[in-house]
Amino acid sequence: MNADAVLLWLAVGLYGLGLALTVPSVARRRPLLSPSALGALGLGLGFHAASLAAQAAGIHRLPITDVRSALSSFTFLATLAFFLVYLRYRIASLGLFMLPLVLLLTLLSALRAGSSFESPAFRNRWLLVHIASILLGYVGFFLTFVAALMYLIKSRELKSKNPRAFYFRLPALEVCDHLYYRSLVLGLPSLSLGILTGFVWASRTWKGPWELDPKILASIVTWLIYLVLFATRLSGNWGGRRSAALAIFGFVAVLVTFLGISMWSGLHGYFPNLGGGN
Amino acid sequence: MITTEADPVFAMNLLLVGINHRTAPVEVRERMNIQEARLASAVSALAHRDGILEGMILSTCNRVELVTNARDEVEAAPILRSFLAEYHHCDLAPFEPHFYWLRQQDVVRHLFRVASSLDAMVLGEPQVLGQVKEAYATARRVGALDGALDEIVSRSLAVARRVRRETAIGSSAVSVSYAAVELAKKIFGSLAGKTVFVIGAGKMSELAARHLLRSGASAIFVSNRTYERAQELAQAFHGTAIRFEDLFATIDRADIVISSTGAPHFVVTKDQAEKLLAARKNRPIFFVDIAVPRDIDPAVNELDNAFVYDIDDLEQVVEANRLERQREAARAEKIIEEEMTRLQRRLATRELTPTIVAIEARLNRIREAELERFGGRLAALTPDQRRAVEALTRAIQNKILHGPLTELKDGADRPEHGNIVRLIRRIFGVGE
Repeated sequence: MNADAVLLWLAVGLYGLGLALTVPSVARRRPLLSPSALGALGLGLGFHAASLAAQAAGIHRLPITDVRSALSSFTFLATLAFFLVYLRYRIASLGLFMLPLVLLLTLLSALRAGSSFESPAFRNRWLLVHIASILLGYVGFFLTFVAALMYLIKSRELKSKNPRAFYFRLPALEVCDHLYYRSLVLGLPSLSLGILTGFVWASRTWKGPWELDPKILASIVTWLIYLVLFATRLSGNWGGRRSAALAIFGFVAVLVTFLGISMWSGLHGYFPNLGGGN
Repeated sequence: MITTEADPVFAMNLLLVGINHRTAPVEVRERMNIQEARLASAVSALAHRDGILEGMILSTCNRVELVTNARDEVEAAPILRSFLAEYHHCDLAPFEPHFYWLRQQDVVRHLFRVASSLDAMVLGEPQVLGQVKEAYATARRVGALDGALDEIVSRSLAVARRVRRETAIGSSAVSVSYAAVELAKKIFGSLAGKTVFVIGAGKMSELAARHLLRSGASAIFVSNRTYERAQELAQAFHGTAIRFEDLFATIDRADIVISSTGAPHFVVTKDQAEKLLAARKNRPIFFVDIAVPRDIDPAVNELDNAFVYDIDDLEQVVEANRLERQREAARAEKIIEEEMTRLQRRLATRELTPTIVAIEARLNRIREAELERFGGRLAALTPDQRRAVEALTRAIQNKILHGPLTELKDGADRPEHGNIVRLIRRIFGVGE
């Protein structure tokens, strides 16, 4: 196994441990995570960073140009975002909402071992900016999704007037809303930049009707969903539950765009015909 | 040399007599009550009784408790009985069935539970901790606490803080007006900068508004059918009075609406609430409807970002919180058992100090005597060599003591430890 793979597995193990350690904190209604949970996650994040650095040193560029490393970079950024959000809002239950997906995707990345393919296209700055900003956008939308999910559950409990498990453990509705808005502000411009740079790069590199690539179409749909969310949030036309529901659907669209389409997209999706120009 | 008949592991003679809200009706409790103003002299008198080493009195509206640490051989119950009878100038016999008597470990557990509010009328209410603190301070001030009981009571305060920190026993509201505040916090997070609108100036809405303001809400509007009453209340809260006719011109500025009018129909209908939400750009609004018949159409609760709680809903939250407190209490009991073991070990270790000192002194005497005996033959040694002999004998002494002393210190929580202590004392020829 390569050094980066070993480091990634270490990160997976520590993330799993961190997740397991957040469960008792939340179950016991502690407002804060235990130092051991934070320690495990922090250490995991450190190994994860080292893994990415080792990978970057191996290929001499950002490790984002194949599914395995893009996933790894995404979950690294997501864990980093978890820390930032936790430090800002101090919500222990955030761990339960964010860490399972982080763990799952990091695990997928670790399982998808093997060397990445090479293409001269990867040297192109436009392409790297394209992928990096789209990943950052996805991290933003992941937070939007988590905020929306917490909002929906909390709102349902408040409306049912029957305090159950989450009544005591989730942040206030306005805190969810705050996080929701902030994450949209991060996600939407990043995705916009990503799509824009992608267009620029594609129009210079690819020939033929590349606009009809399924991944590009899915990205446009995703972008439109978040544009609607952002606009309705600014205007205040939509109630919280409707926005939250669409935000959850939006993240499903993100996952489909990010992972699903890659499996059968012709031009896109990290297959070695990139920049083929046929 | 301290030698006692009592178990050397827990050589205290703790006794507690008390009545509380469960064992005695208020007529009995008030009869046995010791007024705050006379508490200091009472506890001082108690501690000065012959045979009593330490004492503390806790007297609140829910309980009267006397706790003492007596000299080992003294049976303290008659002393406490006569103290109470003389203090209250009465025959105690009619009150006897209401008393509970606790000894040793049970006293420690009881003090821990009382301070942690596990024995309170309203489980988890924080008031009692303050009362224990007060009683402790008073007893210390008059010199009635200076030994093991002092340590136990001061430990009970720390235990209570730990229970509060590690369980949620006191964190949820168990009264209707506090439940309204709690719910507002679940919706808005911080109440800072939030606006409260009171419709109908009643006692209950006044109380809820007061709690909300104390929790950080910044502005308040009051509207009432009789404008003068609205002005009165608004003035009391430094708020603004609104004429009832102008209600809907202002209400969209409110984040929290408390309604308690005597109106026979809904004051806020679903249509009005919808308009209200649109004007608020869908920022959430919380209706607390404590009127019967209700003021807010319950259908308003179906609207996104509007939350309506009527009086029954609030009661339901209170009930759920009570159950939650009971669950948390079970966890608090575990903490208390843990803390008892810890305290017991510490007290036991401290009690061993005289034994350890005595054994060390005895061995040292032997060592010095032997050095003395060989004094003539050691006279030829240089000062350096003399120091080496000194160090050598000391090292042997410490190596021999290491095993027995470890056994003394570490075995304190084992039941047979009392016998081990006695045995070790016998072997080294100290005491007994």
